[in-house]
Amino acid sequence: MNQTVEQVNQVIQQRYKAGFYTDIESDRVRAGLDEEIIAMISAKKEEPTWMLEWRLKAFHHWQTMREPNWAHLKVPAIDLQKIHYYAAPKQKNRPKSLDEVDPKLLETFDKLGVPLHERARLAGVAVDAVFDSVSVGTTFQKELKEAGVIFCSFSEAVKDHPELVREYLGSVVPYSDNYFAALNSAVFSDGSFVYIPANTRCPMELSTYFRINARDTGQFERTLIIAEPGAEVSYLEGCTAPMRDENQLHAAVVELVARKKAKIKYSTVQNWYPGDENGKGGIYNFVTKRGDCREDDARISWTQVETGSAITWKYPSCILRGDRSAGEFYSVALTHNHQQADTGTKMIHLGKDTTSKIISKGISAGKSNNSYRGLVRIAKRAANARNYTQCDSLLIGKTCGAHTFPYIESANPTAKVEHEATTSRIGEDQLFYCRTRGLDEEDAVAMIVDGFCKEVFKELPMEFAVEAKALLEISLEGAVG
Amino acid sequence: MSALIDSLATEARLPADDHAEVRRRAHKALLKHGFPDLKTEAWKYTSLRVLEKRAFSDQRPGLSSLPELPFAATVLHFDNGILDATDLNLPAGVSLQPQTDEKLAAVDHGDRAGAFGWLNLARFEQAWQLRIEGQQEQPLVLAISTAEDFHGDVHPRLAIELAAGATAQIIEVHEDRGEGLVNIVQDIALERGANLHHLVSRHSAQSAWIQRSEAKVARDADYRFHALDRGGRLTRHDLAVTLTESGAQAEIDGTVLVNDRQHVDFHTAIEHEVGHTNSRESFRILADGSGVGVFNGRIHIHRGADDSHSDLNTANLLLSESARINAKPELEIYAEEVTASHGATIGQLDDQALFYLRTRGIPADQASALLKQGFAAAPFENIESESIRNWLIGELGQLL
Repeated sequence: MNQTVEQVNQVIQQRYKAGFYTDIESDRVRAGLDEEIIAMISAKKEEPTWMLEWRLKAFHHWQTMREPNWAHLKVPAIDLQKIHYYAAPKQKNRPKSLDEVDPKLLETFDKLGVPLHERARLAGVAVDAVFDSVSVGTTFQKELKEAGVIFCSFSEAVKDHPELVREYLGSVVPYSDNYFAALNSAVFSDGSFVYIPANTRCPMELSTYFRINARDTGQFERTLIIAEPGAEVSYLEGCTAPMRDENQLHAAVVELVARKKAKIKYSTVQNWYPGDENGKGGIYNFVTKRGDCREDDARISWTQVETGSAITWKYPSCILRGDRSAGEFYSVALTHNHQQADTGTKMIHLGKDTTSKIISKGISAGKSNNSYRGLVRIAKRAANARNYTQCDSLLIGKTCGAHTFPYIESANPTAKVEHEATTSRIGEDQLFYCRTRGLDEEDAVAMIVDGFCKEVFKELPMEFAVEAKALLEISLEGAVG
Repeated sequence: MSALIDSLATEARLPADDHAEVRRRAHKALLKHGFPDLKTEAWKYTSLRVLEKRAFSDQRPGLSSLPELPFAATVLHFDNGILDATDLNLPAGVSLQPQTDEKLAAVDHGDRAGAFGWLNLARFEQAWQLRIEGQQEQPLVLAISTAEDFHGDVHPRLAIELAAGATAQIIEVHEDRGEGLVNIVQDIALERGANLHHLVSRHSAQSAWIQRSEAKVARDADYRFHALDRGGRLTRHDLAVTLTESGAQAEIDGTVLVNDRQHVDFHTAIEHEVGHTNSRESFRILADGSGVGVFNGRIHIHRGADDSHSDLNTANLLLSESARINAKPELEIYAEEVTASHGATIGQLDDQALFYLRTRGIPADQASALLKQGFAAAPFENIESESIRNWLIGELGQLL
C-alpha cells in the first residue's frame, strides 16, 4: 500500500498547469479599500447612481462586521488595504466583437482550454470570459438574443438592463448577509448576468471562465441568474490563476432566482491556484452562492468539483420557498499539500413538499484538511419536506484530515430527514480484488476513486465532466482516474 | 449575560473555606470568559434565558425524597445536591474522600463553552473522590434529588476512579422537584482493564440541570454509558469520553423524551487519542408538545490514532407541530486506516406500522404508544441486568 501512496504523491505533485502569467498591460486602481476606491470602480464602469449608493451601503455595513471564524480553517490575517480592488487589461476601446479583443487575451483563454473565437462554435457552449476585474468577451450573443436569452457581463447588464438588475440584485444574498458578501457587494467589478425569459429553454450551455492574472489583486465577481416561470438553463463556471508566492483573495457572490417551474443547473469546476507543496501562495476562496426557488415547482441544482485554492470557504445553498420546489447539491472536493477546504451546502426548506438531496465526496491527501459543513433546516410550515444527505470522505496518507459537520434542524413533524456519513481509506480488500482481476495497483486505485466520485460526475454536463475528470487526473493520477 | 453573573457568580456568594484559592481562580476564569450565548457554537441551540430570569436563594430547602428502586443497591443520597457522608455503609473496595486542593488547582474547563464547569469550581460545597477496586457486584446508586422548595444553586463535584481491573456499575438517579440550578461536574477515570457501566436516569422539573461528565479510558478498559432523560425545563449534559490507550473502548446509548416547555440538550464527544480504539454510539430523541431536543455527537480521531473504529447513530421522532429537534453528528478524522461513520434521521412514526397495529384491533392511541415505546426502548436492549433494563423500560412506559 505504501507504494500506492508514493505513486499518488508523485502524481499529485505535478505542476499546476494553469499557473502561467500573461504579460499584458493592465489598468488598475491604487491599493486600498475606502469610499473613494468604491466610487472609482463605479465610475470606471460608468454605473448609475443607484448602483454606487448600493455599493456604499454595503461598504458601510461591512465596516461593522467581523471576519467569520467558525469554519474549520486556519486563515492567516488578510490585509484588505493592500489589495488592488480593480485591475483590467488595457484596451483602447471597448471591443465590439471578439475579433477586436487583444489576441494575447484570446491566447490566454485558448491555453486554458477555453476557446473564445469562432471555433468555439464547435464546442457549442456560450462563454463569458472574465480576466481579473472585467469581462473580456462573451460568445454567441446573437444566437442567444434570438431566443430571448440575455447573457452578458454584469457591467453591461447594469447599463442595458438596469430594471432587472435593480429588482434582483441582493434579493437572494443581501449585502448584509456575511462579511465576504458585504465586501463583494461594495467592490465587485464584474461577473456574468443571465436572464432566461418565461417558458424558454436556453438553447445552449452557458459558461463563465474566471481568470485572475494581475499581481496583488483580488477578484470580486458577481453572478446573477434569473429564470422566469418555466425557463431552463444550465450554467458552467471555471476558474484558474497564475502560480505566485503570495496569496490572493477571491470573494464572489452568486445569486440564482428560479421562478415557477423554472430549472437552474449550476456547475463549477474550481481550479484556482492551490499553492505549492509547502503551502506557499494560492488563492483564498471565500464565496457565497445561493439559489432561491422562489415559486412553486422550481428546481435548483448545484454541482461542484473543487480541486484548487489554498483555502475554500463555500456553501452553495438552496432556499426552497415555493411548494414542491427541489434543491440538489453534488460535490467532489479534493485537497492536497496544505490546502484547506470547508465546504458544503445549506438546504432551507420553507415550502410544503419540498425535497433536497446532498451528495458530497471529500478526498484528502498530503497535509490538507477537508471539511464538509452542511445545514438542513425544515421550517415549521414545510410539511412533508424530505431530505437525503450522504457525505463520504476518503483519506490518502496519514497526515491529512477529513471532517464532517452536518447541522440538522427540524420543526415539522411530517418532514423526513436522513443523513449518513462515512470516512475511510481505500480498502485493502477492494485493491486486492481489483488486482486479482489483472489491474495494476495504480489503475485499481484510479478505478476505486473514480467510482467514489461517480455519483457527482454524472451530474456534470458533458463538457465539464471531461474537464473535471482531467483535473482529477492531474491532481491524483495514480490514485484517481 | 451579566444578569447571570450577578445572580450566580458574584464574589459575595462564593463559599468561604479551605478551597478559597481554587475558587478565586475559577471565579476569575468565569468572569473572563462569561456565560455562553447562542453565538457560542456549543450552545447555539440552548438559550440560558430561563436561568437569567431566576432569583436564587441561599435558604436550605426541606428534605428531598429518595427514589424507589426495584433492585438492591448501595445508595449515596445527595439531598438537594449535598451528600451527608456520615454513617455511610460502603462495600469493601469502595472508598469516598474529599478531593484534594492539589487536584482541583489543576482543573481547566476551557473557554466560554465550559463556563458551568468554572461556575461549579467557584461555588462547589463538596468535591468528592470515589475510588472503586475489585469486582463490585451490587450497583452503586448516586441519587441526586431536590425538594419542592429548592430555589438555590448547587454544584456537586465528584471524581470517580476505577482501579485497574475493577468492575462496577454506577447508576445516577436524578429527581428534581425544585426550581433552582443543579450543576454537576464529574471526572471519571478507568485504569487499565477496568470496566464501568455508567447509567443516568433523570427527570427534572423546573430546575436547570447542567452536567459535565468527562471520562478517561485507559488500556483495554471499557466504558459503557446509558442515559434515559425524561425531560426538564432546561437540561444540558456534556459527556466527553477520551480513549487514551489502545484497546480502550466506549459505548454510549441514550434516549431523551421532551414534552411541553422542556428543553434537553445532549452533547457527547468521543476522543480517540490513540489507535486500536473502538467506540459506538446510539442516541434517540422523542419530541412532543412544545419540547425541544438537541443532540450533538462528536467523534474525533486524533493524528496517529490509526486503526480506530467508530460508529454513531441518531434516530429522532418529531411528534408534534410545535416540537423541534436539532441534531449535529460530527466527525473529525486525522488518522489513516480508520472507519468512522454516522447516520442521523429525523422523522415520524411509520404510518404502515400504525396501520398494521390497527388492523389487529389496537386503538390508534395505543398503537402509537406501543411504537413510541419500542423506539425509545431500543438503546436499553443491550443492558445485561434484566432488573435494571426492565426498570428503565418501565419508566419509559409511564411516560409514553
